[in-house]
Amino acid sequence: MGRLKFTLAGVLAITILITGCGKGENEKNQQIARNKDEIVMAIGSEPEGGFDPCTGWGRYGSPLFQSTLVKTDKDMNIVNDIATNYTVSEDNTVWVFDIRDDAYFTDGEKVTADDVVFTFNTAKNSGSIVDLTSMASVWAIDEDTVKFTLSYPQSAFIYTVAGTGIVPEHLYSESYGENPVGSGPYVLKQWDKGQQIILEANENYYGDIPNIKKVTILFMTEDSAFVATKSGQLDLAITTSNYADTNIDGMKAVSLKSIDNRGITLPVLPDSGEKTKDGYKIGNNVTSDVAVRRALSYGIDRNALVDSVLNGYGTPAYIECDGMPWGSENAFVEYDVEKAKKILEDAGWVDTNGDGIREKNGLNCEFKLFYNAGDSVRQALSVAVSQEAEELGIKIVLEGASWDIIDKEMYSSAVLMGWGAQNPLETYLLYHSDNVAKDYYNPESYTSDVVDYYINSAMMENDTEKANELWKKVQWDGSTGVSTEGDCPWVWLVNVDHIYYIRDGLDIGEQKIHPHGHAWPIVSNLEDWKWE
Amino acid sequence: MKILKYTLKKFIRMIILIVAVTISSFFLVTASPIDPVQSYVESGVAVSSEQREEIADYWGLNDTKTERFKSWFTKAIKGDMGQSLIYRRPVLSVIGEKFKASLVLMAMAWIISGVLGFTLGMVMGIFNGKPVDKIIKSVCIFLSSTPSFWLGMVFLIVFSVKLAWFPIGLSVPIGVSSEEVTIFQRMHHAILPALTLGFASFSNIALHTRVKIKEIMDSDYVLFAKARGESFLNIINRHIIRNAIIPAITLQFASISEIFGGSVLAEQVFSYTGLGQATVEAGIRGDIPLLLGIAIISSIFVFFGNFIADILYNTLDPRIRIGGIENE
Repeated sequence: MGRLKFTLAGVLAITILITGCGKGENEKNQQIARNKDEIVMAIGSEPEGGFDPCTGWGRYGSPLFQSTLVKTDKDMNIVNDIATNYTVSEDNTVWVFDIRDDAYFTDGEKVTADDVVFTFNTAKNSGSIVDLTSMASVWAIDEDTVKFTLSYPQSAFIYTVAGTGIVPEHLYSESYGENPVGSGPYVLKQWDKGQQIILEANENYYGDIPNIKKVTILFMTEDSAFVATKSGQLDLAITTSNYADTNIDGMKAVSLKSIDNRGITLPVLPDSGEKTKDGYKIGNNVTSDVAVRRALSYGIDRNALVDSVLNGYGTPAYIECDGMPWGSENAFVEYDVEKAKKILEDAGWVDTNGDGIREKNGLNCEFKLFYNAGDSVRQALSVAVSQEAEELGIKIVLEGASWDIIDKEMYSSAVLMGWGAQNPLETYLLYHSDNVAKDYYNPESYTSDVVDYYINSAMMENDTEKANELWKKVQWDGSTGVSTEGDCPWVWLVNVDHIYYIRDGLDIGEQKIHPHGHAWPIVSNLEDWKWE
Repeated sequence: MKILKYTLKKFIRMIILIVAVTISSFFLVTASPIDPVQSYVESGVAVSSEQREEIADYWGLNDTKTERFKSWFTKAIKGDMGQSLIYRRPVLSVIGEKFKASLVLMAMAWIISGVLGFTLGMVMGIFNGKPVDKIIKSVCIFLSSTPSFWLGMVFLIVFSVKLAWFPIGLSVPIGVSSEEVTIFQRMHHAILPALTLGFASFSNIALHTRVKIKEIMDSDYVLFAKARGESFLNIINRHIIRNAIIPAITLQFASISEIFGGSVLAEQVFSYTGLGQATVEAGIRGDIPLLLGIAIISSIFVFFGNFIADILYNTLDPRIRIGGIENE
C-alpha cells in the first residue's frame, strides 16, 4: 500500500509538472502565431516519398524548394521561371530552352543545363507518376541551353515541364527527397517525418524574396486540423464543407474554386457481347443511346447539387476543365427538364405501361450507376442524380462498391468519377480513341474521328494559344464534340470547392483554379503570401 | 542449462512463426484486389497507360507471385528488406524511424494501463459489490466499449482546446527546430496520446483482476487469515497481490499486441507519427515490402512480450518452473 501511495503521488507530481510546462509552451505558440513574417498551417497529407521532383514532388502546385523551367500563372498561362525563352520546332518534337544565368542552388552552385538534363533523365527512369513517356532524349547544347526531343508531337509537354522542379546533379542521391536542395523560393529547414515541415525563405532567390520568412506545415487529418484550428494555433487549415459553417474566432472559411470535378461516365457502345482483354463486359444498351445521356445532362439541376450535396461549396461542371484556358465556354448547359423529356420522347423512350419508367422496344430505360462506397460526397451525388433522373423517367440503380469491383463493371455501367488535372493531357486521356477501355480514363469506350483529329492537332500545335483553341473544339466545334450537344460520353456534375480556414489578415494572393488534389495546390504561390 | 535449452527452443519457434507470418501476409496482400499502381498514382495527375506500365515494371509487379516472393525472401535473409514503394526509402530505415516514435508512446501507454488496470481492479475486487466497485466497473465497461479515436478526440477537445493543458497533437512543438526541442516538451506531447491509449486498454486488465481478486477474497485462505486476526493490509500484501499478479502480468504482456493495434487510431487523431500509421498506409496502398517488414518486426515484438512474461512467472512464483513449461 505504501508503494501504491508513492506511485500515486509520483503520477500526480508529474502531472502537475507537465501541466506547468504546458501553459508555458502554449503561450509561446500563441506568440509564434502573432509573429508577422511566420505562418503555421495544416494542409493535409505528407508526401511520404519526400520532396524529390524526379519522383513526383510538386506535380500539382509548385515544388517550393526547386524551380522549374517554366511555370503557370494564376490563369494557367505558361510563363518563364528558370527559362528565359523557349522555342518549339515546326513539328512540335524539338523543344529548346534557354536558361537564366543568375539562378543558384542554395548551396551556392549555379543551376546549369546539365542539372536540367540530369533532372529529366532521372525522372524518366524513376518509375513514378512523372510521365515523360513522350520524351525521347534531352541534352545540353551549352551551359545554358537545353534541347528536348519528343518521340511524338505533344504540345502538352510544356505542362509536364512546368511540373518538374530542377534538382542539382552534384547533390542528388537516393535520399535527396529527405534533404531537397534546390533554387526555389523556399528552403526546407527541417522535416519531422509524419508531423511537420519547417520552411524558410530563400534569401538568395533570383525572383521576389518571399514575404513570409518562416512557414510551418503540419500534417494532420481534417478532424485534428479542425481541433487545432479551434485551439487557435493555426493560421490556415484545410477543412471540409461539414466543418466550414462553424465559426472560429479570428478565422474565416474561404472556399477556393477548383476543377476537382465529379461526373458520370456512360458507356457509349451497345452490349454486343464484346469483352475487354481481361474479360469484362463492354457496352450498355440504354446508355449507348445519346438521347439518354443528353437528357440526363439537361435534366440534372447542377446548381441544386452544389447547394444540397456540397452545402454551396462548389460550382456546376459542364466539362472536365471548366475555367482552364483550354476549356470551352460553349459546353454550358441550361437546366431544362422539359427539354430533357422531349429529347427522350423524340428518341422513342416513352412510358407505355405507366410504371414511371420509360421504355423503348420493350427495353426499360434503366441502368446501374456505381460509386466509390467509401466517399460520402460521391454517394450523396449519386443519390441526388438518381432522384432527378427518376423525374425524367430514367431509372438509375445505385451500387456503392470498392474500386476493385468498379474496375470490372465500368465498361458496361455508369460510374461516378472525379478528375481535374491542370493539364490538357487529361482531355486526351479522357476522350481519345487511344485510351478506349483502358484504365479509368475512357471506360465508356468513346471514339470519334473528329475529336481524335482535334486532339491530335492540339498535340501537334506548338503555339499554346492555338493549341488551346483546338482543345476547345474537342468540347464543341459548332456541330459536334464531347459536350452535351455533341456525343456526351460524360455527364459532368459539379466542381468541388476546396475549403480552408484562413486567419484574418493573411493574404494568400490570387489562387489558380485548384486541381483534383485538395492540399498542396494552395501553397503553389506561397512566395506571394503576406500578412496585412 | 534448462533455461538455455528453453530459450533456444522458443527462438526456433519464433523463426518458424516469422516465416509463416511473412508467407501468409505476402499472399494475403497480393490476393487483395488493391492495384498498387492505381493507389500510388491517385487522381489529379494525368498519367498515361504507358507510364503506368513503367511504374509496374519498375516495382517488379509484372513478375509472378512466387517469383516476387522468392526474390524478396532471398534478399530478406541477407538482411535487405527492400525498398518501400510509398516512402521510396529502404524499409528498415522507415521502420526504424517510425518504431522509435511509437515505442515511447506505447511504453507509456503500457505502463499507464498496467498500473491503472491492476490498481483499479484491486480496488474493485476488495470492495466487491460496494458503490466504489459499481462506479469503477461502469467506467471500465464504458471505456472498453469506447473506440480509442473517439476518446482521443474528447481528450483533445477537453484538455487541449478548452483547458489548453496539452498540445493539440504531434510529438514535437510546432515550428521549433529539433535542436531546441527539450525532453520535457517531448514528454508533454506524448502524455495525452499515451493516456488515451492507456485508458482505452486498461479496463480489460482491471476487470480481469477484479474477478480474480473477488475469487481470492472468497477463498478459504483469506477467510483463515482473517480468522487469525491478520490486518487488512497484511492480507492484501501477503495473499491478494501475490495471487492476483500472475494473471495480471499475463494479461499485461498479452496486451502489447492490443496497444500496438490501438496505437494506429491514437496516432491518427494526435497526428503522432508512428508504426501504426505506416502499417495502415502500407496495407491500403499495397506497399508489400514495407508491410512484410512491419509484420516481421511486430511479430518479434509481440513474441518478446510473451517470452518475458514466461520468464517473469518463474521469478514471481517459485511453483512455476521453467522445466514445467518445457514439459507442456
